[in-house]
Amino acid sequence: MKSREQEYKEIFIAEALEYFDSLNRHISELEKQPQDDRVLAEIFRLLHNLKANAKAIGYLQISDLSHKLETAFSLIRNRELQFSDEVVTVLFDGIDMLGDLISGIDNPTPVEPDPVLLRNLDIIVDNLSDSTIELAKVQRFTNSKNLSLSDLIYIQIKKLDHMLNLVGELIIDRDRIMSLSKELNNDDLKTVSSHLYRITEELQYSVMDARLVNIGTLFNKFPRIVRDIAFAEHKDINLELSGQDIQIDRNILQIITDSLLHLVRNAITHGIEKPEQRAKSNKPNAGLLILSAQNDRDNVVIKLKDDGKGIDLKQVRKTAVKKNLVSAELADGLPDSEVFSFLFEPGFSTAAEVTEYSGRGVGLDVVKNAIDSIGGRLHVDSELGQGTTFTLHLPTSIAVKGALLFEVDNIFYAIPLIHTEQVLALDKDELHEVGDVMVADLKGETVTVVYLNELLNADEATMKLGDKTRLKGQVQNIVVVSYNNRKLGLIVDKLYRQQDIVVKALSKPLDKIDLYGGVTLLGTGKVCLVLDVPAITRYFIQKR
Amino acid sequence: MKRILIVDDSFYMRTMLKNMLTDAGYEVVGEAPNGQTALELAKETNPDLITLDVILPDNTGLDVLKGIKKDQPDMKVIIVSAVGQEVIVNEALEYGALSYIVKPFSEEKVLEAVNKALEE
Amino acid sequence: MAKNIKKAEAVEPAANTPEAVTETNTAPAQPAANDAPGKEEKVHLIVFKLGTEYYAIKIEQVKEVTVTPTITRMPRTPEFVQGVANIRGDIIAIVDLEKRFSIRPEPMTDSMQPNTTYTLVIEAKEYSIGVVVKEVPQSLNLPMSKIDRTPSFLQDTNIKDNYIEGIAKVDNRLIIVLDMLRILSSDEIKQLTGK
Repeated sequence: MKSREQEYKEIFIAEALEYFDSLNRHISELEKQPQDDRVLAEIFRLLHNLKANAKAIGYLQISDLSHKLETAFSLIRNRELQFSDEVVTVLFDGIDMLGDLISGIDNPTPVEPDPVLLRNLDIIVDNLSDSTIELAKVQRFTNSKNLSLSDLIYIQIKKLDHMLNLVGELIIDRDRIMSLSKELNNDDLKTVSSHLYRITEELQYSVMDARLVNIGTLFNKFPRIVRDIAFAEHKDINLELSGQDIQIDRNILQIITDSLLHLVRNAITHGIEKPEQRAKSNKPNAGLLILSAQNDRDNVVIKLKDDGKGIDLKQVRKTAVKKNLVSAELADGLPDSEVFSFLFEPGFSTAAEVTEYSGRGVGLDVVKNAIDSIGGRLHVDSELGQGTTFTLHLPTSIAVKGALLFEVDNIFYAIPLIHTEQVLALDKDELHEVGDVMVADLKGETVTVVYLNELLNADEATMKLGDKTRLKGQVQNIVVVSYNNRKLGLIVDKLYRQQDIVVKALSKPLDKIDLYGGVTLLGTGKVCLVLDVPAITRYFIQKR
Repeated sequence: MKRILIVDDSFYMRTMLKNMLTDAGYEVVGEAPNGQTALELAKETNPDLITLDVILPDNTGLDVLKGIKKDQPDMKVIIVSAVGQEVIVNEALEYGALSYIVKPFSEEKVLEAVNKALEE
Repeated sequence: MAKNIKKAEAVEPAANTPEAVTETNTAPAQPAANDAPGKEEKVHLIVFKLGTEYYAIKIEQVKEVTVTPTITRMPRTPEFVQGVANIRGDIIAIVDLEKRFSIRPEPMTDSMQPNTTYTLVIEAKEYSIGVVVKEVPQSLNLPMSKIDRTPSFLQDTNIKDNYIEGIAKVDNRLIIVLDMLRILSSDEIKQLTGK
């Protein structure tokens, strides 16, 4: 795990070495054109930053030396000191030593600045152009200069984004070539395309790997945040962190940052009770908040668990009825998991009456949208009086995801595996028309089932989602997806394989259609539409 | 959440400032390493506050300050400077900067100045 | 919209008059226009047929013209979106402008090949789309002055969006020059959402 101190140190060294290289370049320029104000200003700026940064991190020798050099250069800038040969030698020596100090930061035996050189610097600064005092010859501490470059580079995330996009395109073309080589049945082509396959795969993982950061970079911000919120709320909170070394794509981490902050804030403000109340319920005074990360197959699972008062499902049911989200008769029969999903309805939880007792809802729909946007899943579980757990299933990488391929009305579709629960085949007789939907019994659980062809292709005016007669054939292939604590079985025409797909975002003007999360190209060159499970669930609810 | 733009040519300084500010619950809406970017981001993000380093590679921080104040006269700006820059700092205060922080800064100093400026 | 086009024809004489005036005005000013065409600004158009009328797009807005590739239908999108197609690895939306403008399609004739259509790949600032046309598009060079940018009939019709850049008259053919940057107005783009 990289601590913040370690991170600061690495940044400091990388930047200081960069400054050192620039200083060398500029001072050589200055030797040729001693009056160049632009170069002088730049040298001054670099030394100035180096001084301030070194002082901030506590490398006082570096900041002192930078300060001395800065003073010398500001004198040259003000024409109070001649850029003469002796002065040049001292300044070059000084910059060399700066370099040695910077690269020596990690040495077991610390590099000490040469006292003779420091004295020389003092002399040129104090005596100005009066060269009556002899400058002592500095023993060159490095005789042959070693050229060394930093092992660490900083790169803009958008360059990595671009690389990842290119890799995505490459994979699509590769798959096309693989499929062509099978068709053409040429041995040479087969050999080269299987080599291409391996290389692109390795390239894909290298680029994905370069984008990974430790979840700790986000988690480690929370102790302070939790302390501050708890302090403001007059609560006592113990925060337990685990899984900081789990790695995840930097952009995914960026996108969930606000969501996680929001959930933590909610847990402290509304979830965990005040010490007095906790004492009454035989709970320890200090509330417990556990933030953990772990790997689950290709995904990362982040959990936020509190031991607060939990969510009152009775109240959630009542509010749902009041807000006309569900009828009163139906509300009582709804399974708990579906009741939880009301919390994520827009505006549901912001209602004052809910905030008072459950308090969970302030903008939970916003959290859910953020997680949806990266193809993740949000799950909530709670027991009244015992506490609440939010579980975030997140993809490790944005670009490539495992998906299930199928066909409906001769169009290829894919659904990301993160949203699929199971795939099964049921006889038509096992599907039942209940009300205006179809349901099936999946191992004791009643799940709503919908014929995708009807949902996607029927005339909206005559759509009949509960009509079994619209199904083709006897055996039905069903993909069970899960979204917002709610399962939905999607009947498809033909079921194909699982495959890693590269999702291409739809370009304008199609990017606004939320039913599709994007498209992918199959090896055959055919276009395959990637269904957005949240949107298809919403569309179904709207149409049923 | 109050939105802050950081202008500093040192990545190290920006990182430190950003961490301090985000830990304290502020949103850092942008980081500018030079004057040009600073002026663009000031317009684009229209933050609640800007922390401005006075020594920048392209223009001086003073020019940036003037540029910002020209288009966004009410923009709150705090100067970040090192010791020995008192002349520039005084000038900056005349041009409408609210206060200044001296490098190397402590977290308390930064937050104190930022909180105060945002309250005004 | 088909109605609008009809109306446009009906008011043609009126639209003619200002154009005639313009021509007589500009003719003496540019006496060498025909002798030295390089002197006058030219515009290069790609002309195609929608319904029974001719339409044109400036060539700068056309990325390529290709035989229409396989189109994958996208359910639950507006009717004028035919679907998406893979054009050299880029996936773009294919739109049917006849449907977009409610233009009555031309009845099939023998010379038409129902199985081969062409797609103009249009690159606008905000989006790229493919426009399907039934006949091979033609290329046409003509002087800028031949395009009447403000035909008065526009005021008589109820065309709200000014995606019509002007009207050109060439050999008794009336060509409607479209501004592709505006062809999908923001309303239309919004229509694609909220499904």
